[in-house]
Amino acid sequence: MKLQVSESCVGHGRCYTLAPQLLDCDDEGYVTIRGGDPIEVPEDLHELAENVVGSCPESAITLIDD
Amino acid sequence: MQSSVIAERHGSEVTGCPVMDHDFSRARELGAYWALANELRESCPHFYNRYEGGGYWVFTRHEAVRDIYKTPQVFSSASITPWEPDPIYRFVPTQVDAPDHIKYRRILNPWFSPKAMEAAAPMMREICRSYIEPLVPKGRCNFIQEFALLFPTAAFLTVIGVPISYTEQFAKWVDEFFGGFGGDPAGAEAMARALSEMRVFWTEQLADRRGKPATDGDLFSYLLNSTFDEKPLDENVLLDMCTVLTLAGLDTTRAELGYMFHHLALNPDDRRRLAEDPAIVPLAVEETLRYYTIIFGDGRKVTQDIEFHGVQLKQGDMVYGLVSGANRDPRHWDRADEFVIDRERNNHFGFASGPHRCLGMHLARREMAIAVQEWLSVIPDFELDSETELMERGGGAMMALDRLPLRWEVGA
Repeated sequence: MKLQVSESCVGHGRCYTLAPQLLDCDDEGYVTIRGGDPIEVPEDLHELAENVVGSCPESAITLIDD
Repeated sequence: MQSSVIAERHGSEVTGCPVMDHDFSRARELGAYWALANELRESCPHFYNRYEGGGYWVFTRHEAVRDIYKTPQVFSSASITPWEPDPIYRFVPTQVDAPDHIKYRRILNPWFSPKAMEAAAPMMREICRSYIEPLVPKGRCNFIQEFALLFPTAAFLTVIGVPISYTEQFAKWVDEFFGGFGGDPAGAEAMARALSEMRVFWTEQLADRRGKPATDGDLFSYLLNSTFDEKPLDENVLLDMCTVLTLAGLDTTRAELGYMFHHLALNPDDRRRLAEDPAIVPLAVEETLRYYTIIFGDGRKVTQDIEFHGVQLKQGDMVYGLVSGANRDPRHWDRADEFVIDRERNNHFGFASGPHRCLGMHLARREMAIAVQEWLSVIPDFELDSETELMERGGGAMMALDRLPLRWEVGA
């Protein structure tokens, strides 16, 4: 499973607060992978990744099944 | 379900949807505005609300509110108050649209970023303790006046580099400004006075720093040394920025803290849970922002004729996304009408959404988390201390409790 964040991220910060193991923020508060390549989600974090998707007010996060 | 009839306005005639005459500004008993939002949302997806001299479309459900926020090219922030389509004031960057909006935000975002707030957290915690400590032996307090107005103000001033000794002055200005939203003439006078006194203060602060190099931790000198399209920021823009930062940053946090501590006073299980597991406090803060959102609704101005969720909108119309309805819409939320203290999937609109999402959100949520952790560590049990019903200010501005009397056992 991979996780991707689109350009529509405006920096609410709920994703990296919920999953610091997966995501981090830049100096303005955007998630660092905003508009970039997907990242790999380890198997034990799949459920967390789904909650991360559901925590984004912009619907900017998608999961891609392998 | 989408209605097959398109709602439309022809002059003062509205067809295809209910027409109502709600006054969203008056004070009501605590909780009445969320109850009203629930009722409106379940009775119709949209309606036309009239006031003397005009009217606007209200969208009550999550899907439409989300789409208003997602489509800023159609829904402009030129006015965010639906009963004031052509405001005489201009909040920067709140009322600025693309392409200029993001340029202002890029100046301000780093100042209020999660990393900057993380760095300020130890200082905020210390300030927070300094307000709680003297209250502990008293066994009671009016939480709003003695804590919720003061702590966020002091924290904010420290973050922007203004001496903390101005805290009470700022708390007074902000209280007077929002006291004027109710529409009574005495309130309006105090509001105008507070606004002009604040502008004098900012003007002096800016004058002191003009022509000098940027100083660390000082927002004014940072703004004076910032550029917009390679030019320094205009004096009026600077003043508009300072004013909106103050008004948006202080009153809102006091309001959310009021509702959060009212909830904790009435719910000992939630209190205990947070005291035992401070790690879930940030989740409880987000749930407070969803369930007890202080934004009754958020206004936007329509830039083009367009059909939107069953309504034929015309350029210049005002719309009002009922955020309080969306945040408890059972079509979107699991256990919508329940305060779920550790809710993880929480994409609420308590800080709005889209490009104008609250600039100070990282500051606000950190202040709230610190307030809860510090308070519960010394006053783990407390209850409501009021015989009379608590009232909330109307949603014309932001909903807020004007008082919250609490009591607890001393030395227990």
